Amino acid sequence: MRIIVHKNKCQGHARCWAQAPGIFNLDDEGYILPGDIEVAERDELLASRGARSCPERALEIDATADALLTRLLFNQARGGVK
Amino acid sequence: MVRDFSLFTSPGMQRMPNGDPHAAVACVHDAPPIFYSPNNTRDGRGTWVITRAKDQRRVLQDTATFSSHRSIFASALGENWPMIPLELDPPAHGVFRSLLNPLFSPKRVMVLEPVIRERAITLIDRILAPSTSCDVMKNFAFPFAVSIFLGFLGLSDKELDTFVGWGRDLLHGENVKRTAAALAILGFIDELAAMRRKEPAGDFMSFAVGAQVNGRPLTDEEVRGIGVLLFVAGLDTVATAIGFDLAHLARNLKDQQLLRSEPDRIGLASEELLRAYSTVQMIRVATKDIDFDGAPIRKGDYISCATMIANRDPEEFECPNTIDLAREDNRHTAFAHGPHRCLGSHLARREIVIGLEEWLSRIPDFRIKEGTAPITFGGHVFGIENLILEWS
Repeated sequence: MRIIVHKNKCQGHARCWAQAPGIFNLDDEGYILPGDIEVAERDELLASRGARSCPERALEIDATADALLTRLLFNQARGGVK
Repeated sequence: MVRDFSLFTSPGMQRMPNGDPHAAVACVHDAPPIFYSPNNTRDGRGTWVITRAKDQRRVLQDTATFSSHRSIFASALGENWPMIPLELDPPAHGVFRSLLNPLFSPKRVMVLEPVIRERAITLIDRILAPSTSCDVMKNFAFPFAVSIFLGFLGLSDKELDTFVGWGRDLLHGENVKRTAAALAILGFIDELAAMRRKEPAGDFMSFAVGAQVNGRPLTDEEVRGIGVLLFVAGLDTVATAIGFDLAHLARNLKDQQLLRSEPDRIGLASEELLRAYSTVQMIRVATKDIDFDGAPIRKGDYISCATMIANRDPEEFECPNTIDLAREDNRHTAFAHGPHRCLGSHLARREIVIGLEEWLSRIPDFRIKEGTAPITFGGHVFGIENLILEWS
């Protein structure tokens, strides 16, 4: 899973960090560091909880990459991308 | 589009024993999501009232259309200068915000935790030793929150009662008292700045007088604008939150029991209590004519975004009037939205959680003392006073 970070929307509530300090990293001012976040499978629940805690809606859960990957793997198992 | 509603004069907003101004205000959700209230400020001005959380977010995030520049403190003195950064708009706002953010960041606040905890324990032990009853506001909430804040500013709490009195007069007093309090605070801040200029003391004011923005030192007016804001913002808010929280726990013994037996829940519960008992109203000024979902907002109009209204929005929160201490996905706006998100929110949150943790671990089952009634009030900042608890 990937979290899309809309850095310009972050206002430093730090609720994501409060939920998952190991996933969401803050700068010295307490605002989210720029750059999207790749989340390991074991952290997905925690990360999505963190993303959903943002009052500004600055964190977007991107499931499209996963869906794509799943489809690719599924198709590969059946002999390649159709 | 015009409604007879006011945070100052509507039913339930007046000072009253055992009031519940938050529940009273939630009634606005029966009305259209935006309306005009002809008498919704201290000085009787009208405001547009934005009731939905998502609309408030839209207003508070759009600083180009909805300005914060109001000189609310200075206007009590017939002057016109901004409290900083609260009453500045971007981009000037961001310069000062970046200057101050590191001092209030979540990591910085973690360092203060032992001091905060020790302060709570000292106060509670002092209450416990001679008594099985106390006035929470006078004996705990105010001395706790204000002394931490004064420590942050580098001030002793010798004059704590004077400062609290100034805050009360400024936020809740009549015009004469309000002006006198504003003058007293201003004199105090100017004098403190002058002292720290002469002899820095490693405290907040020393930081402010030594700080630089855009490669130049702050002007006297900027130092004053920052000093006054920090002073005013720290006097009332955290103490009031703790007061509403302990009043809730005193009246809802199941909730009290839950947090007492499972203190790990206090963090999440404190967020729900912040949602349910928010105390602050944001006001913005329209910078241009705009049609807001059919509401004809005109340049110069006031727009009210009351946190206590957004946080009871049924479109945002399931069963908003039910206080559920285990509520998840609680994106309440007690600290507002947008660039003006409360600078002290991380400090406030830690103080509230630590205050509740230490109170619950030390004071046995408590309730509102028989024959007493906490007094609540609405207005620009909601409040509670005279919260007498007893235990055995």
